[in-house]
Amino acid sequence: MLGWEYPPHISGGLGTACQGLTTALASRGIEIDFLLPRLYGEEDAPHMHLLGASGSEAIERVPVKTWQSQESPLQEAIANEPSLSTDPILTAAAQASEGAASARIRTIQVPAMLKPYLDPSAYLELLAAGGFDEAAVARLAHELPGPPHRQPEHAHLLGDDLWEWSTEPTTEAHYGHDLFAEVARYAAAATRRVRGRKYDIVHAHDWMTFPASIEIAARANAPLITHVHSLEYDRAAEGADREIVAVERQGLERAKRVIAVSYYTRSLINRVHGTSLDKISVVHNGVYTRATVEAYTQQRKSTGPVVLFLGRVTFQKGPEYFVQAAARVLQHVPNAKFVMAGSGDMLPRMKAMVESLGIEDAFRFPGFVRGADLERTFSTADVYVMPSVSEPFGIAPLEAMSYDRPVIVSKQSGVSEVLRNALKVDFWDVDKMASQIVALLELPELRRVIVDLAREEIRHIHWDAAAEKLIPIYQSVSAA
Amino acid sequence: MPSVCFYFEVHQPYRLKPYGALQVGQDHEYFDSKLNGQVFRKVADKCYLPANESMLRLIERTDGRFRISYAVTGVAIEQMKQYAPEVMNSFVRLAKTGAVEFIAETYYHSLAALYDKDEYKAQIDLEVDLIRSEFGQTPRVFRNTELIYDDEIGQFISDLGFDAILIEGADDILDWRSPNFVYRVPGRETRLLTKNYRLSDDIAFRFSNRAWAEFPLTADKFAKWVHQHSGAGDVINLFMDYETFGEHQWRETGIFDFLEHLPDLLFTHPHWDILTPGQVIERYPALGDLSFHRTVSWADEARDISAWRGNAMQQRALAEIYALGTDVKRRNNSHLLALWRRLQTSDHFYYMATKSASDAEVHDYFSPYEGPYDAFIHYMNVLKDLNLSVLGPLEKRIPA
Repeated sequence: MLGWEYPPHISGGLGTACQGLTTALASRGIEIDFLLPRLYGEEDAPHMHLLGASGSEAIERVPVKTWQSQESPLQEAIANEPSLSTDPILTAAAQASEGAASARIRTIQVPAMLKPYLDPSAYLELLAAGGFDEAAVARLAHELPGPPHRQPEHAHLLGDDLWEWSTEPTTEAHYGHDLFAEVARYAAAATRRVRGRKYDIVHAHDWMTFPASIEIAARANAPLITHVHSLEYDRAAEGADREIVAVERQGLERAKRVIAVSYYTRSLINRVHGTSLDKISVVHNGVYTRATVEAYTQQRKSTGPVVLFLGRVTFQKGPEYFVQAAARVLQHVPNAKFVMAGSGDMLPRMKAMVESLGIEDAFRFPGFVRGADLERTFSTADVYVMPSVSEPFGIAPLEAMSYDRPVIVSKQSGVSEVLRNALKVDFWDVDKMASQIVALLELPELRRVIVDLAREEIRHIHWDAAAEKLIPIYQSVSAA
Repeated sequence: MPSVCFYFEVHQPYRLKPYGALQVGQDHEYFDSKLNGQVFRKVADKCYLPANESMLRLIERTDGRFRISYAVTGVAIEQMKQYAPEVMNSFVRLAKTGAVEFIAETYYHSLAALYDKDEYKAQIDLEVDLIRSEFGQTPRVFRNTELIYDDEIGQFISDLGFDAILIEGADDILDWRSPNFVYRVPGRETRLLTKNYRLSDDIAFRFSNRAWAEFPLTADKFAKWVHQHSGAGDVINLFMDYETFGEHQWRETGIFDFLEHLPDLLFTHPHWDILTPGQVIERYPALGDLSFHRTVSWADEARDISAWRGNAMQQRALAEIYALGTDVKRRNNSHLLALWRRLQTSDHFYYMATKSASDAEVHDYFSPYEGPYDAFIHYMNVLKDLNLSVLGPLEKRIPA
């Protein structure tokens, strides 16, 4: 896997995503060599000594202790509440994230002046600022090849000449004189680092690792998966850098399968790059990028605040309590809108109940939603309510939280025992449920504190779900 | 001749009842009188009554050489009279021994010091009057809510004429200095007594902690720790919640036995005695000025004010309650004024804290609610009703 960042130096969403995903995959038995660019001067020197020590054979293997030292919320919950240890869902999830993982991740760090979402001018600033120390550069001088010059096109990176200059020692130590030269140099250096190793899959995150991953995949004769967290188009819209777009496109074309972090991103990849939708799988991140949520929020039509029920409309899910709470909320927040998304045997009765309460103008019943509609539904809600009468666990609140939505969950759900940053209510206590909805709609501070803390809280839990989706994709591309 | 100085905080808030959005406009009774009565009687049985008995016995047995000080908030005294008058009587007996000093604070245990200085002074005056009328003493020494303190508060309290202020002996403020000396508000004669938080917390927090290396803490061991400071300090200030005895540390932990034996063991060293804060500043000179570059308190790991206004919910709630001041006072209604002031009690905001780890455990321990979010929701609904049902009608009468 060609990733970004390494704890404790996690600077942004992409690093968090790589960390979460890798840990969750490793805990499910996937062995991972995790290649990542390292900026000099920002971290402890000992790593770098190792790296610089012995030229092309040096592969640094760092057991990723820090990733394992944090107990997942599930493990914590079980520790605090022994009765949970009999819950098969919880224990399976907790066991999966234990132990084994550390042995399965090796990090291989390649010096490079790269960090996520650099653009050409930011790169030059970083270079000028000298984000590395002189001693490090001196060490580099004997160990790493510098790129000859920036080449006018990227395609040449895939040719054998790349290999030639990557093995050829050079006396001139430097980073690429511009961003693309540095990406090319990184590709060469990274390829050299893993020469001769066998891989079943090469998995790369966002455009800067694409050239390296294409080369490594070709040499290892392994299928390439490119994982798109954001597109240049997302970041810069019409001002997109054409060369970055070209690197992106090449990665998408060479990939056996493309992974998008949302249906939104999937359709954007399709529109911008013409990649076939069949080739793109969606694996939701543990935490949504704010940009995705905002993109949907802008499409929002309704004027009042929106309260969401999303799930099967059956007795077990408690839809009638949602309707009863809605009627009470409307007396205090008359412009509130309620969405009951889902289908089920109680749907006709719910529609009748809404009518008899005279609140049909405030209700929408979009039926079963999936894909982009599901994302839009979550993104445009102000509050998510899960009033289940009985719920062994309940993953939907976690999903809502991953869209930065505050959630209300019934105390009769397993998830309410795990979550700290959610409002909790007995499913039958519709007065309190209404009060909580009103509070979330009227008090921005309440929303803000819950959402901020919940984002941290669910990070671990949700990566497990992402890994569960990713593994079948791995199996399908490596079997084909 | 070094001394030990005991100070105990006695406080119980008026807890709000779970007040949902649907009650706004309907229900103008905000406090959970059933719960408040239950809590008060429980704490009276477990702590106030037996602890006061112990203190009385110790004072008599030592002929008044065992001395202690209390701050008892006005809201605690109100509830004492209402729910457990026998506790009030035993405090009055303690006051009459001559070995007990009463310390001033805000009547409502509020954060007015940080928001409204006029209101702050008014609440201090109320408390001083109350101490005078109930216990026949005029306090000379002050402690602010939860030992919240900075230079500005120091100047203000000094201007009010107090002789000394009790504060937290925070490491970063003391720096190289020892907490075991008397200090001075910069440029003033007002003295500062700094809590020795290690020895205080050994009793208040760690006494029954089996994971602590020093467990079990005996009076003998503790007296030795105190005596080790001979020649290296004037006064060991042991400041803690009074509820430490029997409520935070249950009787079963042996806390009352510890208390029973401690004075005699402290006196086994001929140089040591026990003084009240007022006596401490009579005997020991101030070593120097002590300046505070930040606002300190005795709460949480951070020893700052984040326990009450560390998140956006707390900040909003505090800003709103203090913003009502002008409206409330204009109404000139003593019931409304008392109501507004009861809503200022710091505990309401403490319950809204979203801290992690060990801090959260302490906040949860004290909170009557299911968590910080419920605490915030109840509080904001109460303010909404207060605005709508009580202050609203007034607004209508005032021409725009």
